[in-house]
Amino acid sequence: MSMRSRIAVIIAVLITVVGMMSLFIVDEREKVLVLRFGQIKQVKTDPGLGFKFPWLDQVVRFDDRILSLETPVIEVTPADDRRLEVDAFVMYRIADIVQFRQALGAGGEREASIQLNDILDGQIRAVLGADGVTSNAILSPERSRLMKSIREAAQVRAKDLGLDVVDVRLRQTNLPEQNFDATLQRMIAEREREATDERARGREAAQRVTAVADRTHEETLSAAKRDALIIEGEADAQRTRILAESFGADPEFFDFYRSLAAYEASIKAENSTLVIPPDHEFLTYLQSAAPRVAN
Amino acid sequence: MADNNGGPWGGGGSGGNKGNNNGNGGNDRKPDGPQIPEIDELMRRGQEQLRVLMGGKGGGGGGASGDGGGAGIPRSTFLFAGLAAVVMWLFSSFYTVKPEEQSVELFLGEFSQIGTNGLNFAPWPLVTYEKFNVTTNRSESLGLNDSRESGLGLMLTTDENIVDIDFQVVWNIKNAADFLFSLKEPEASVRAISEAAMREVIAQSELAPILNRDRAAIEANVRQLIQITLDERKTGISVIRVNFNKVDPPSRQVIVTAADGAQKRVSVIDAFRDVQAAEQERDQRERQADAYANQRLAEARGAAAQIVEAAEGYRATVVNAALGEASRFTAVLKEYQVAPEVTRRRLYIETLEKVLGNVDKIIMDNGEGGQGVVPYLPLNELRKTPQGGSN
Repeated sequence: MSMRSRIAVIIAVLITVVGMMSLFIVDEREKVLVLRFGQIKQVKTDPGLGFKFPWLDQVVRFDDRILSLETPVIEVTPADDRRLEVDAFVMYRIADIVQFRQALGAGGEREASIQLNDILDGQIRAVLGADGVTSNAILSPERSRLMKSIREAAQVRAKDLGLDVVDVRLRQTNLPEQNFDATLQRMIAEREREATDERARGREAAQRVTAVADRTHEETLSAAKRDALIIEGEADAQRTRILAESFGADPEFFDFYRSLAAYEASIKAENSTLVIPPDHEFLTYLQSAAPRVAN
Repeated sequence: MADNNGGPWGGGGSGGNKGNNNGNGGNDRKPDGPQIPEIDELMRRGQEQLRVLMGGKGGGGGGASGDGGGAGIPRSTFLFAGLAAVVMWLFSSFYTVKPEEQSVELFLGEFSQIGTNGLNFAPWPLVTYEKFNVTTNRSESLGLNDSRESGLGLMLTTDENIVDIDFQVVWNIKNAADFLFSLKEPEASVRAISEAAMREVIAQSELAPILNRDRAAIEANVRQLIQITLDERKTGISVIRVNFNKVDPPSRQVIVTAADGAQKRVSVIDAFRDVQAAEQERDQRERQADAYANQRLAEARGAAAQIVEAAEGYRATVVNAALGEASRFTAVLKEYQVAPEVTRRRLYIETLEKVLGNVDKIIMDNGEGGQGVVPYLPLNELRKTPQGGSN
């Protein structure tokens, strides 16, 4: 290979290398600052191909996606003086990379999250501790309005950092340790009340049912006895009527006939001894055969 | 081959140490003697072709070729390297997208299109691509740790009760481009958004409905809330469902002082279970009372029936007896009326016969002195003595 062609190759390689070094690609997910000796030369926020001076210019890339931040748990005191432990989840993005770079320097996202955390800490305390915001409000549909106002308040301050706070969501809103136990105790007491009530109502119902049963028992039996007496009375009355109808046909003969039957039934060997005078009518013929019927 | 390649490249760089190069080649040939001539042959052929292709320059090269045949070897190697590079390039520029996947193509970093299923062409380095599995469901489980420290799982309700919730969020990617460009940490964000949504919904509900009937409604609400939040940010994520794994009162034990002053360790879930036990107990008592009532009432009905039936029996007895007696009297009376005098005497005599026939009797004159004697008669002894004697 000749010298010339070798030189040509070397030059081609050099051009390629320099060309490559003066080109850069901005990804859809990024925004880019081109710095020359620390001075901002270019701001490229649209994806595509960019140009820079090789060696002199430095490309600094920033994430254009939504970044997230989870704040540590802080204790806030709402207007009703009941303390709540609160933490939040924040979604933000780097809106203005020039301001971002100027405010945070080379610290980048790490520094941003530290500063944003401080901002949120303050704003959460401010919003949830404001007048009229009670813990009941935090535990109610008010919550989303409160989250919105935290976001707006944080937004204003984050703007100085070149950040856009997209969303703030309260995650935990829990009770501090000592209130937590007290709440559990209260919940237990409520359940105990319910359990005791259930048991008492059970006994009440049982007693009620038993008493009703006993009462019905007595009622049924006494009604039956009453009916029985009525039936017996009717029976006696019927007997009296039947006998009276029959005996009434000849009262004198009834008297005679029934008396005889009564003597027969009542005068028994076991319980009676009769003392009979010899001149008793029955014994007339023991003494004489003279007829007595004739007269 | 790699050694041979390395040699010529190095030679090209250093510019004309062909003797050295050849020497190296000679050294190399010794171990793999049989193969090298063939390779040399191939290279020579390639060199010839290259010369033809290069035309005029080939002539110049021809002049230079007097320096040694070795100068041809780097050129053919160039060709191979070029071919290999083309193959490599093609290989990295074509890619397949499986049915369950979507790819996102970026032209110089700018979003250009979504890759379709099958073979796709993305000429490197102008076009880059990323592939995602879009149909597979991903799931995030939240609140599986019931510890106070993490705060996970324990949530405060609007009536200031605490509930222990574990749940799962199932999601997939509905738009690969949005998914790629919106969130830096999609999984973590989905988790955090889900937790925030669940806590928000729980913070607006009361405890009792959460534990009982509202689970499905809460699942739907939370899913909707997560989806709205994700859609506001164009995350390209679709929440398929939210499942509760556990919705319970907290199981943490606390010391409770009972009404009688005794202290015991109880957890809320125990207290809830005790309520259930109490409900069962109540039910049991009510049923037992019902059983007692049924027994008492049946007893009463039985006894009542017996009493009434006994009375009816009495009625039958008495009435029938009366009817019989009446009928007998009527019959006797009818005959008596036919011959009253005789019948009367007969009845009288027959009755006395029966009465006196069976009875102890003393026939005693009741004349003048009789009045005085009767009171002194030992009537009881008179009656008993014969009986004692018979015994």
